[in-house]
Amino acid sequence: MPRLNSFRELEHLRESLRGQRHVITTTVMVCGGTGCQASQSRAVIDAVKDELSTQGLSQSVRLCITGCHGFCEQGPVMIIEPGNIFYCHVSPGDAFEIVSQTVVRGEVIERLLYTDPVSGEKIQTESEIPFYHSQDRQVLSQNLMVDPCSIEDYIAVGGYSALTKALYNNMAPEDIIGEIKSSGLRGRGGGGFPTGRKWSECREAPGDEKYVICNADEGDPGAYMDRCVLEGNPHLVLEGMMIGAWAIGAGKGYVYVRNEYPLAVEHSRLAVEQARELGLLGDNILGSPFSFDVDIARGGGAFVCGESTALMASIEGKVGEPRAKDVHTVVDGLYHKPTTLNNVETWANVPSIILNGSSWFAAKGSEGSKGTKILALTGRIKNTGLVEVAMGTPISTVIFDIGGGAIDGNKIKAVQTGGPSGGCLPLDKFDLPVDFDVLYEAGSMVGSGGMVVMDESSCMVDVAKYFLTFLQDESCGKCLPCRVGIDRMLEVITDITEGRGRPEQIDLLEELAETVSQTALCGLGKTAPNPVLSTLRYFRSEYEAHISEKKCPAGVCKALITYWIDPDKCPGCGVCIQGCAHQAITGGKQQVHVIDNQLCQKCGICRSECKFDAIQII
Amino acid sequence: MLQQVNVNIDGAIIRATRGTSVLDAAVEYGICIPHLCHVPYLSDIGACRLCVVEHVVNGRSNVTASCTLNVEEGMVIRTNTDRIRKLRRNLAELLVAQAPNSRAIQDIAVRCGVRQVRYSFRNDDCVLCGRCVQMCTEVWKARAIGFVGRGKERHVDYPFSVRPDFCKQCGSCVQLCPMTIPPCDGPMKPGEEYLCLKCESQLMLADETPDHCVWCKLGEGFACGRYVQ
Amino acid sequence: MPSQTLEQILEGRRSQPHQLIEVLQDVQASHGYISEEAMQVVSQGLGVPIMEVYRVASFYTAFRLKPSGKNVLTMCMGTACHVRGARLLLDQATGQLGVGPREVTPDGLFSVDHVNCLGACALGPIVTENGTYHHHMTPGKLRKLINTLSLQKAEVQ
Repeated sequence: MPRLNSFRELEHLRESLRGQRHVITTTVMVCGGTGCQASQSRAVIDAVKDELSTQGLSQSVRLCITGCHGFCEQGPVMIIEPGNIFYCHVSPGDAFEIVSQTVVRGEVIERLLYTDPVSGEKIQTESEIPFYHSQDRQVLSQNLMVDPCSIEDYIAVGGYSALTKALYNNMAPEDIIGEIKSSGLRGRGGGGFPTGRKWSECREAPGDEKYVICNADEGDPGAYMDRCVLEGNPHLVLEGMMIGAWAIGAGKGYVYVRNEYPLAVEHSRLAVEQARELGLLGDNILGSPFSFDVDIARGGGAFVCGESTALMASIEGKVGEPRAKDVHTVVDGLYHKPTTLNNVETWANVPSIILNGSSWFAAKGSEGSKGTKILALTGRIKNTGLVEVAMGTPISTVIFDIGGGAIDGNKIKAVQTGGPSGGCLPLDKFDLPVDFDVLYEAGSMVGSGGMVVMDESSCMVDVAKYFLTFLQDESCGKCLPCRVGIDRMLEVITDITEGRGRPEQIDLLEELAETVSQTALCGLGKTAPNPVLSTLRYFRSEYEAHISEKKCPAGVCKALITYWIDPDKCPGCGVCIQGCAHQAITGGKQQVHVIDNQLCQKCGICRSECKFDAIQII
Repeated sequence: MLQQVNVNIDGAIIRATRGTSVLDAAVEYGICIPHLCHVPYLSDIGACRLCVVEHVVNGRSNVTASCTLNVEEGMVIRTNTDRIRKLRRNLAELLVAQAPNSRAIQDIAVRCGVRQVRYSFRNDDCVLCGRCVQMCTEVWKARAIGFVGRGKERHVDYPFSVRPDFCKQCGSCVQLCPMTIPPCDGPMKPGEEYLCLKCESQLMLADETPDHCVWCKLGEGFACGRYVQ
Repeated sequence: MPSQTLEQILEGRRSQPHQLIEVLQDVQASHGYISEEAMQVVSQGLGVPIMEVYRVASFYTAFRLKPSGKNVLTMCMGTACHVRGARLLLDQATGQLGVGPREVTPDGLFSVDHVNCLGACALGPIVTENGTYHHHMTPGKLRKLINTLSLQKAEVQ
């Protein structure tokens, strides 16, 4: 496609693309995100493509491979317009029926519809599904409209019009920054720092050479919203970065994508190439004085590289060791130049703020936290997936209305928010809103938006141990409190989970936690004690049970539990005996089986294979 | 032209050159802030965190390492508050529990107020202070040793664990290492580690004589740069 | 990913120290691991001291310094997978194959690796095997998968 040399040429292109799409009668959107790909959505896409071709419909029906829809558990997911018909768990074999019945005749295929887990009813359209219904999908809904590998799609639905407005609509860079400030946008990566202020400080920093960086390192385990947005709509992120770069005075940008997201790397690279081809990246963008280019940098598998100074070191080709931040990176950042680093979701919110105005954005949310936030709702809950809600929404709405509540009749006990830097909140705190400051006061944080729901089968001491193990693995190791402090906290908690706990260790844990949080060099170390501190604050009784009674109430800590076969339920089928890798179960055919606790390694295979629910943990 | 600034450290107004660290300014003046990874002629990496101080900004006290904090006009620093002493003591406790078989490390622990160690003793022969690496990299520019691995696996090593021919065996790394001198009564038997407490904590004198410097001895062969003979 | 020679990988990147991680990524993808020889060539090509190349290669978990097994089993140890029993999966793999995490079996058939979150959280626990994602895994399913993969190799031989 020829280079666009003015915003008028962009508008012409947009109109012509829209004109081309007028002949489309039906659009079939299939999710091609990592989650659905794991459920074989690629095969579905190929099958539908073939079927459309066979039936001669390739011109009038558009098959759009979209980014992630956020409802991964139901994948592969398909939406058909017109009609907003939502199909889930689609398999390649369904292609013929889908094309012949739904696409051609508008008939709905019942068995592919979503069944509401609470009411048991089939729901036809995506907008009626409770999971989607209670959300406010400002950023995520845009994923449905575009094929991430097509810049034409993005332009056809209105993409890059925010950039045009920023460059041409009597908006000086200071005005753009003013809009971002008034909107109240705060960093969506975990820090929650006011974005407008960051941009302003960077603009004012001395120097002609400045950088903008998109932090797509998303290391928080259990969080995948950045993956979704970058994989599913890379141009949205690029457009945000362009607007930011223009406002700050930066000429070069980087998107730092973690290594574990190959699809996001591929899609961002492609998006950059396509933008360059059209002249949306490069010199004199759209005929303006703005010149800007972007490169994609890959992470090397280090959570610590989500920390801004470590990330910048990584882009410079060095080890990801954070440095002291007494001088801020907006003044002294990448290659010692002023740098603005923002999270994927933060950048993704910028175009709509410029287009719709700061008051539109600020109208949503609470006093201190404006706009919407994408949350990754996972764990022991019915509807897992990506959820976008207005800030200020109570956690209970997210977990019960959207998430559908507990699974398997268990009782929900806690929610872990904010990843390894965050904390666990108990059920009685679920009325708290998703708000940066409120959750921080409560001992947790919004963080990047990860929300892992835990029920009675989760041991909170084990959760603290899990996070410490994670952080120990990911610590860069430079400073003493983080490297040794986390190790020692883990040593103490391991003692507790293995039955060697002593009462004075709780005080030791708290004192050590305080020391680490105050003396560590970077955010990883400083927030490392949070999971320990929040579980001690709200679930102290579980720690005490491990220490005084040598019991694990949730039945998780191996040293404190026993596997037991209920003689009333065991029919003597022999499946567990075959499954046991340690020859720990004995019993003849149709005789009650017995587990020898000396040999049992508590691997869990027998329990996962027993069809009679006869094996319990006591 | 070097710019001079006035800094308030523990109530004393000190004149220091812009671009110096708070640690250097304090030690130069005579206020000793305990430190391990700092060597006067090498750059500071802020690894040991023993030099933490309170930096008072807008009425709030931020705990920060003084070796990586540069002096600014009007800065207010407190090096010896109860909070700092407790943090320092806890850090030193972690340090000596990792590597008790070194006189310098035991000295530091005692100086920082450690009396009991609540963790199991380990017997590391390196505390990852980075002095050797800094020396080889910055002064000799040989880069024959460096930090390898991450987190718990972090250790000092040659490339591929084989001494390269560009290591000229100058011995500077050994000279700077705090682990080369065993405690007064010799190396301890595993399971019988203890702090001898014979090297008195000079810092304890600070309780009796506030605002006066206490000359800290960090064990022979491991001199505080201010008192180079 | 098609195999590239070190020459091809270094093309257009010579004397650019900041390209170190990108170059090592390509070496890892092409050769399966980063050998001592490769590091020497990269050091010369980019103008980065060998100590620094070794340091970077050993810091990031994406880089392996030893060849991996034929089948690389990677367990996701993210929070969502953890509360669904990911720990049991890692124990199953290491126990069944007799190797520790990040190690290769003596016959070179398997390596067991773990990663801190693949970003497919709603489908956990996840185990990837040579790029294929297996979701909702249980210790029993994993045991069957390992057995199947072992048999495949035996048949090929």
